[in-house]
Amino acid sequence: MSQFIANEQEAKEYLPRYKILYGLIAFTVALFFIRLWYLQIINGTELRAFSEQNSIKETKIAAPRGIIYDRNGEILVENLPGFEVTISPQYVVGLESTAEAVGKALNMQPQTIVQMVQRSRKINGPFRSVKLKDNLSRDEIFNLEIIKNDYSGLDIKENVLRSYPMKANGAQLFGYVGEISKRQLPILNEKYVDKIKFQQGDVIGKAGLEEILDLSLRGKDGISVQQVDARGREAQNSNSNLLGNLTGIVPASPGNNVILTIDKDIQDSAYKAFVGNGHIGGLVAMKSNGEVLAWVSGPSYDPNEFSTGISTGLWSKLINDPDRPLRNKVIQDHNSPGSTFKPLMATAALSEGVITPTTIVNAPGSFRFGNRVYHDHQKGGEGNITVSEAIERSSNVFFYKMGIALGIDRMYRYCNAFGIGKRTGIELQGERSGLMPSAEWKKATVGEEWQPGENLSVAIGQGFVLTTPLQMAIAYNAIGTRGKVVKPFVVKKVLTGDNKVIQEFQPTVVKDLSDPAGEFHVRMEVFDTVREAMRRVVNGARGTARGSKLGFVEIAGKTGTSQVMSFAANDIYSTCENRPKYQRHHGWFIGYAPADNPEIAFGILAEHACHGAAAARVAKEIVQSYVAKYHPEWLTREPEKKGAKPVIQVRAPENEADPEPSVD
Amino acid sequence: MIGDQLEGRTFLKKIDWNFAAVIVALNIIGLINVFSATHGHAEVGGSDRLFWSQVFWLIVGWSFYLFVTLLDYNFFVRLGYLIYGLNLGALIAVMFVGKIALGAQRWLDFGFFSYQPSESMKLALVIIMAKVMSAKSHPDGLGLKQLIYPLLLIGVPFLVTAEQPDLGTAMMLFIIGASVLFFLRIKRRILITVVTVGILVGVGGWLFALHDYQRDRVYTFLDPGRDPRGKGYNSIQSKIAVGSGKVVGKGFRKGTQSQLEFLPERHTDFIYSVLSEEYGFVGSMLVVGLFATMFLLMIRIAQQARDKAGAILVVGVMANLFWQHFINIGMVTGLLPIVGIPLPLLSYGGSNMLTTMVALGLVSSVSYRKHMF
Repeated sequence: MSQFIANEQEAKEYLPRYKILYGLIAFTVALFFIRLWYLQIINGTELRAFSEQNSIKETKIAAPRGIIYDRNGEILVENLPGFEVTISPQYVVGLESTAEAVGKALNMQPQTIVQMVQRSRKINGPFRSVKLKDNLSRDEIFNLEIIKNDYSGLDIKENVLRSYPMKANGAQLFGYVGEISKRQLPILNEKYVDKIKFQQGDVIGKAGLEEILDLSLRGKDGISVQQVDARGREAQNSNSNLLGNLTGIVPASPGNNVILTIDKDIQDSAYKAFVGNGHIGGLVAMKSNGEVLAWVSGPSYDPNEFSTGISTGLWSKLINDPDRPLRNKVIQDHNSPGSTFKPLMATAALSEGVITPTTIVNAPGSFRFGNRVYHDHQKGGEGNITVSEAIERSSNVFFYKMGIALGIDRMYRYCNAFGIGKRTGIELQGERSGLMPSAEWKKATVGEEWQPGENLSVAIGQGFVLTTPLQMAIAYNAIGTRGKVVKPFVVKKVLTGDNKVIQEFQPTVVKDLSDPAGEFHVRMEVFDTVREAMRRVVNGARGTARGSKLGFVEIAGKTGTSQVMSFAANDIYSTCENRPKYQRHHGWFIGYAPADNPEIAFGILAEHACHGAAAARVAKEIVQSYVAKYHPEWLTREPEKKGAKPVIQVRAPENEADPEPSVD
Repeated sequence: MIGDQLEGRTFLKKIDWNFAAVIVALNIIGLINVFSATHGHAEVGGSDRLFWSQVFWLIVGWSFYLFVTLLDYNFFVRLGYLIYGLNLGALIAVMFVGKIALGAQRWLDFGFFSYQPSESMKLALVIIMAKVMSAKSHPDGLGLKQLIYPLLLIGVPFLVTAEQPDLGTAMMLFIIGASVLFFLRIKRRILITVVTVGILVGVGGWLFALHDYQRDRVYTFLDPGRDPRGKGYNSIQSKIAVGSGKVVGKGFRKGTQSQLEFLPERHTDFIYSVLSEEYGFVGSMLVVGLFATMFLLMIRIAQQARDKAGAILVVGVMANLFWQHFINIGMVTGLLPIVGIPLPLLSYGGSNMLTTMVALGLVSSVSYRKHMF
């Protein structure tokens, strides 16, 4: 109790301070009184009028998306000005009659217009304007201008349409744009918290580069806030009032422009040679430093269709097409590499001393291992051959023997070093990693021990092995450049709207396999043996791609077929072309050119094309267009007689200069 | 003699009924407006889910109010460090596991209820201040030495909250702490120094520490036309809503600004605009008056507190609620920039309702144990 009294004394210490609190409360009440009096009594009538007319109209000013250029400044993706007509439901007097008139002007069913407006009103409320049609023609604008003043709520606005002048060419690389969906809106806003706030009706990149570069390309939308009269038209007298500068315009700032590594001319000829010939599949061509020059996936689609709002009919046609046009097959389809795997096997076998360049191996037409018979694609086999001839003629039995001798662990180590079974790390989305099996992997995922017979399948690129065209191009490029495993890339520079460089991307060598100090070392002689063999695939007398030989430059590469279905032994030699389309083999051609000092590399997968030779013909077109553009002087040069050269070129390991000349 | 008095006062007589009545009045006004702002608006859940949720939290809130009233507030003061420490821990936990809401990590999700530790941190700060500052007497005002420790207690949760980033609540924490210290009297010399340093830090923070969107808010406040679609637009629409209420307002659920969804965050931060539009100057001033009455009653309770801790507790709670209501009403009437601070007792929101009722329960508890003069 005594403590109680003592506390009373202490608490009294604060008594003088309460005066401040009384003062603060009196001040606050007075302040709010004055403010509310000012707003509600003095300005109440004016603000009541404001609120009843909803006399502020806000309109978004869409920022022009950045332009996408090729490496030489040619436009790949751009914007085209257009006109759209919108209707603001809250200002419409008589929806039926308005729809009737607008329908006549636009050649649309009035009923459709009524439905569009009613649906938007239900979902978005009466204040969001409804886009009735965009990409208006001159006649349509003329018709609308005539009726515009008789029907309130109509607006003709300038807009910007994303345009893809190359149409379906490169669609899977560039992607497309479209209105943000209700489902995406919260997801993206959460993802880009603090960076950007998306709103219903915003146009976003939905696939390809448009999607991954969206934040950079999209710029910042502006906004115009206007005082409008009761019919929704802009009022002329927007005097300033107590709301301050209520009306105003925040201009849009355009998005960043992007320069790609793509070369439009090479892209064009690659697209023509591939999709133009009806091929299905993926194709990539790149400089040997990793800069992608052409990127084609077939069949394709026209991304312009998406810019104007794709019809549901076309959309369902695209997603139900068995040839999957929306898919970026260069990185999203992985298949057995088939015989294109053989140069990697040869590299492993030579490096590991399983064979030497001159070792002769007997390669008959079939080969018994365990209790199974493995076949060559040549019924009679190839006889006694060296590794070089084995690659040139694509002998299966030769490489069965290599597979047995190497074993899965060694095959895995070499393929892994060349990037098989790993994502290349290109900027694009949805890259598949492919698969390079190992004994460990099989045990962990399949739960079974590795069978010796599987070594045979792996050695000819069948079995569990899966690769993408891009991966194979990277691996072959490493052989062609004698060791440089590079990281492929498409985006070269990002520029501001007025073309100041913000970001520039440089080629990267992920690893150099020729480096004796590196963790993985392949000798120069090994590279040279394999390189020479691949030269002969196209240029040799018995090469599997000799049909694609060019006079003025030598292509090196390797064909391959990837079995879609297994067939009984007696079916193996039946003609692929006679089978139903989706049972035909995939054809591969991977390679680089020129053979002696590569500047470009390519990976081509022609699905259901039966043979690699078809893919090789596409490669020929690509190399031809590359030479025509960058080395026109070669076109007049005489073909060299390289076939007479000895099989093995032993070069002293030299301190290699950058193998590719600078092109730009 | 005093003992006789204590025994003679029953539970019902000891409760401050005037104080409780003011709170109930504000609660009811809040419910009416939450209903008006949410009924029939599909985008906020429809079918009056939010209204009933608010009723639920009110019932929970009042249970806590009565429970805390019956407990001696010194029980909380004694546990001051524990409460403070747990809250700080929760704040830090939010940084790691909190779910992203409205652009910042502020919530801990317990499934049925998202808990916002920065809300209860305000209360914990008031309690720890009452504990620490009542320990000694400072008749000549607080000197530098006496200020270091309380400033540390304010500074740590301030920095953690600002880092989330929830500048609104961080600022509230600072204002509450500073208000309590100011109430306890700070030596004039130090006050001047602090204000000077404060200005310097403010300028420095402006230049180096603020997020762009936070800086934008300030710019936008100074010039709403700069961002007419964003925060400036909200401010404009809110002013139109308040002003269009005129003298007696447009009537229940007849406010076009709110019913037509021109007003953002109608049921939370802008609940006062809904009220002003539908009940005009009369309704708006009624709420201002009710708040003023509540604060006057709180001052009386503080003056009659049986010890210093009780007085500081009441002053701290008052600082919290006073500044919240000041900033909120100031912002919806266009006197202050738009910051995400709800109006206590009126705005929709479980966390805020709960902590407000617990805080008022503490005040009630102080009143329950006051001196009879």
